[in-house]
Amino acid sequence: MERIDCLKLLAPMITDELVVIGIAGVNWEWRYLSKHEGNMTIGTLGHTLAVGTGMAMSLPHRRVIVLESDGSSLADLPCLTTIGTYRPDNLKVFVFDNELYSGSRISDPTVTAFNTDLEKMASGAGIPTTATVRDVESFGVQARAALSEPGVRYVVAKVGEGAAARKLPRPREDYLETKYRFIRYIERTEGKTIFPEQR
Amino acid sequence: MTPELAQRLVAGLKDAGIDFFTYLPESRLSDMLPLIRDDPSFTMVRTCHEGTAVTLACGAALVGKRPVVYCEATGFVLAMYNLQSMAMQFGLPVLFLISYTGSPGDKANSLSFSLWGRLLEAQIKTLGLQYRVLEDGHDLETRVSDMAWAAQFSKLPTCLLFTGEFTAFPGMLKRDRKPNE
Repeated sequence: MERIDCLKLLAPMITDELVVIGIAGVNWEWRYLSKHEGNMTIGTLGHTLAVGTGMAMSLPHRRVIVLESDGSSLADLPCLTTIGTYRPDNLKVFVFDNELYSGSRISDPTVTAFNTDLEKMASGAGIPTTATVRDVESFGVQARAALSEPGVRYVVAKVGEGAAARKLPRPREDYLETKYRFIRYIERTEGKTIFPEQR
Repeated sequence: MTPELAQRLVAGLKDAGIDFFTYLPESRLSDMLPLIRDDPSFTMVRTCHEGTAVTLACGAALVGKRPVVYCEATGFVLAMYNLQSMAMQFGLPVLFLISYTGSPGDKANSLSFSLWGRLLEAQIKTLGLQYRVLEDGHDLETRVSDMAWAAQFSKLPTCLLFTGEFTAFPGMLKRDRKPNE
């Protein structure tokens, strides 16, 4: 299963969800497929899950989708315990686990290539609904459930390396541009002012 | 921290519009936790790692919450990556309430803490963040509010460092022993 095939299936399902996207391949592929204003790209290892969790706990009426990788997930394992403790109904996590660090250039394996099982770790941390999927059809079942059923959900999608992502055009939007575009979307759709007025 | 200081600190946070509180507990300032927990105006999130707390706060800030991270000096060091690559990189207002363990005014100081007390202010200065050291309850509510607003205006983290009378608590080691006693 290739990550981009899962993302192609998910992208048309997104309406007013907030989508928090991780680093490298999943970032380039999602931005290539989706111009959704509610996309918030993080682009740094180990933050995507906690940013999404903070959003979900702050806006409980709004569905938050997290698109994460194995390497980045492993960099903030403590966040699993926060999700397992509070179980935010509106948080849906998809971890695209290619079992390697694409950014290492030599595709050095992550620990999920050996004995570490992210789904079991999430379950052990207290997340009640978890799954590991290995084909696009099963991914589709999980994606549709995530977008229609309440309850926190953590799905590990075992995918190929996804090296083709390296050939996609890189985003030109920088961190601040991403932030302001996202914040203006929240302000408009939530009817609130996030940053105070300036002189 | 006395119950009175805890109540005033929490009142200051509310006055400043703080509504998202994430933390890993420690000994000196923990008296405020039951007050935060019992107040529905705060979304309170416990964590097991201060770095996670910082990133949770950043997520909350991105959707319009006014977040606080409460930790001790060691936790601030642990959260340094998240602070820099998330809160500073994206320019997000996060108020830190830091128990200034190991500072000269820390009533519960010991060898375990002194290293962190020696380094903390230099680390914050290196990051270019605004901070204040609070040793007593004088004008506490205003000083909390000022620093919360400083975070909003600068769109960066700011820090309140609590030492002195904030760091005394029942049952702490007494310092009235003489050497070799």
